[in-house]
Amino acid sequence: MSKTTKQKTSIPAGAATGRPRSGTGGKDLLDALPWIAPVLALIVGVVFFPAGVMFYNSTRDISQSGIDKGPVGFDNYLEVFNFAYFWPIFGRTIIWVIAVVVLTVLLSLALAQLLNKAFPGRQLVRLAVIVPWAASVVMTTMVIYYGLEPYFGIINKFLVDIGLIDTPEGFGWTRNADTAFAWSIVIAVFVSLPFTTYTILAGLQGVPGDAIEAAKMDGASPSRTYFSIVLPQLRGAISVAVLINIINVFNSLPILKVMTGSIPGYDADTIMTMIFKYIQNQHKIDVASALSVVAFVIVIVIVAIYVKVVKPMKEV
Amino acid sequence: MKKSLRVGAMVATAALATMTLASCGFGGGTSGDAGDAGGSVTTLNLLVPSYSDSTKGLWEDVIAGFEAANSDIKVKLEVQSWENLDSVITTKVSGGQAPDIFNGGPFAGFAADDLLYTTEEVVSPATLADFQDTFIENAAVDGTPYGLPLIASARALFVNNDLLEQAGATIPATWDELLESAKKVSALGNGIAGYGMPLGSEEAQAEAAVWLWGGGGTFGDETTITVDTPENLVGAQFIQKMVTEGATQADAGSTDRTPLMDIFVQGKIGMQVGLPPTVGQIAAGNPDLNYTIAPIPTQDGSALTVGVADHLMAFKNDGTKQEAITKFFDYYFSADVYVPWVQTEGFLPTTKSGAEQLNGEESLKPFLDALPAAEFYPSTNAKWSATEAAFKALFGQLAQGKDAAGVLAEIQAQSDAG
Repeated sequence: MSKTTKQKTSIPAGAATGRPRSGTGGKDLLDALPWIAPVLALIVGVVFFPAGVMFYNSTRDISQSGIDKGPVGFDNYLEVFNFAYFWPIFGRTIIWVIAVVVLTVLLSLALAQLLNKAFPGRQLVRLAVIVPWAASVVMTTMVIYYGLEPYFGIINKFLVDIGLIDTPEGFGWTRNADTAFAWSIVIAVFVSLPFTTYTILAGLQGVPGDAIEAAKMDGASPSRTYFSIVLPQLRGAISVAVLINIINVFNSLPILKVMTGSIPGYDADTIMTMIFKYIQNQHKIDVASALSVVAFVIVIVIVAIYVKVVKPMKEV
Repeated sequence: MKKSLRVGAMVATAALATMTLASCGFGGGTSGDAGDAGGSVTTLNLLVPSYSDSTKGLWEDVIAGFEAANSDIKVKLEVQSWENLDSVITTKVSGGQAPDIFNGGPFAGFAADDLLYTTEEVVSPATLADFQDTFIENAAVDGTPYGLPLIASARALFVNNDLLEQAGATIPATWDELLESAKKVSALGNGIAGYGMPLGSEEAQAEAAVWLWGGGGTFGDETTITVDTPENLVGAQFIQKMVTEGATQADAGSTDRTPLMDIFVQGKIGMQVGLPPTVGQIAAGNPDLNYTIAPIPTQDGSALTVGVADHLMAFKNDGTKQEAITKFFDYYFSADVYVPWVQTEGFLPTTKSGAEQLNGEESLKPFLDALPAAEFYPSTNAKWSATEAAFKALFGQLAQGKDAAGVLAEIQAQSDAG
């Protein structure tokens, strides 16, 4: 890739080089402005303005009823970092992201492989995979949450009936931090599968048939073919899927909010549910804004590291 | 160079995705501006929570009657769920869109920010004199009442007679008797719990009050919050005793009140503290349940109930609607309008005239009897919101084996930090 950049000077004039030529740049920009102005206004309005307000709020003292009492510098950030449970919550957030993304990608790879094979009823199976995507996340989570309730939950009832649980009312899966968190990971994987599977499936369909055929002729075993031919070709699809999943999973609130909402203390919280607790329970909009800014920076850092290391846009 | 451009583009995309999500939380409604109806018509914005499925209809009836009598005033009703109410009002207030009349819980924060009319400014002297004195005292910040007590509720012990009979247990009056009876009922097995103890985040502060106050403690008054005291520790330790000796349902620390009450209604819990509307809930869900409403057991058997009053309050906004608000409140609290409203919702009235009218009501009697001994949350203390949040977030840890004194200290610390 670096080679192409060096060749830039030899590209004939008029060919798109990705950035405006110097000299006429100012005029070009002026001509383009009316065309891109709506988009710019939208980006400023829905991205930069709220981000600015969030950062501004994080440096203010905002009363419980939402009245701005003046600037406090970085006191809200100090409160965030001095909170006794901040680092455990931070660690749990990282575990949450890694566990969900890794499990999602592994399962999606298998699922995409299956869906890429021709078999009777493939259309129906492909449709079924989309369903968790089409359903509301809160709804999916609520269904499983009620299934896990003691006394009347269907999952508990099933486990009691087949003899895995010996208390007749079932086990309080969502009442204990560890089990509630583990179930949340299961649900998060479930709702992330469709997007990831379809991204990888699209990648699989881009793998040229002759390459696989050639491998077969050379006597490569199926697993060898998969790991040496197919998987490298999926690099682009997987790395985009991983990137989007990291951001989505990191910012995911509804699943954990529903599944761990009734648990006292902070043993099942991630940064997102903590932001929510600051707003909803403690009415500290200022501290919640500070934690949001921290969360934002963490995502940017994770993504920057990921992009630097994996280079998802690099062609194979 | 191109490479770094791409890296930059990826980071920007990531930023965009994050920000779009973040911006979901931003944006209070800008519609619904009042007062431009032309002529001399005043529009009052009314924001209320939904107590039951009939709340909206009840308010619509009140408004229809009021508008018929006052053609120059329009009332715009907005109904929100209890879970959303706090964030809706906070968003509205910070966006300069406060409703004129608001029905909510704590209001000391609004009063401290000088956003509210005092009660005297928005009701006639006759209406003010009709409120029960204890409720008006409870609605005062620094001696000045800011809220109008809308409804009251008290708590009492709901007892499943059949289960207690099967277990050979008696209705308890003291903690020791409660522990003994509850253990006998729990011993019936088959998933039956002796005492239903909801310490989950939904309303942990209520169960906390039942126990901590029952042991002689308090949560403090309008100037100081006192949670971490030796008196409160007695109750906290007894909660742990109930849990460790198996007198309660499993996972008491993270069980919410509403789902647990459903299980009581289904007849699988021996005893649980309930509210006036619980009577209606049992009538609708399981009318065959054979139950008794008894006073809440305390350490020494003395009378106690946790009283809760929700309030109506009037926001000043631009200060032009005081007269219209007064008319609305006077209309609403007249006995003919107010009593059917309270009765349908299944709560207790806060006015003297209302209490007289409901005196003969059989199902409300145990609660009306308990009302004189009612103790209230220190809800006019500006730190109460933070305290309540701390109870919700932390109190359940008692049932998870955490040191009782440590839990109380943690709640006190979070409350002090505001």
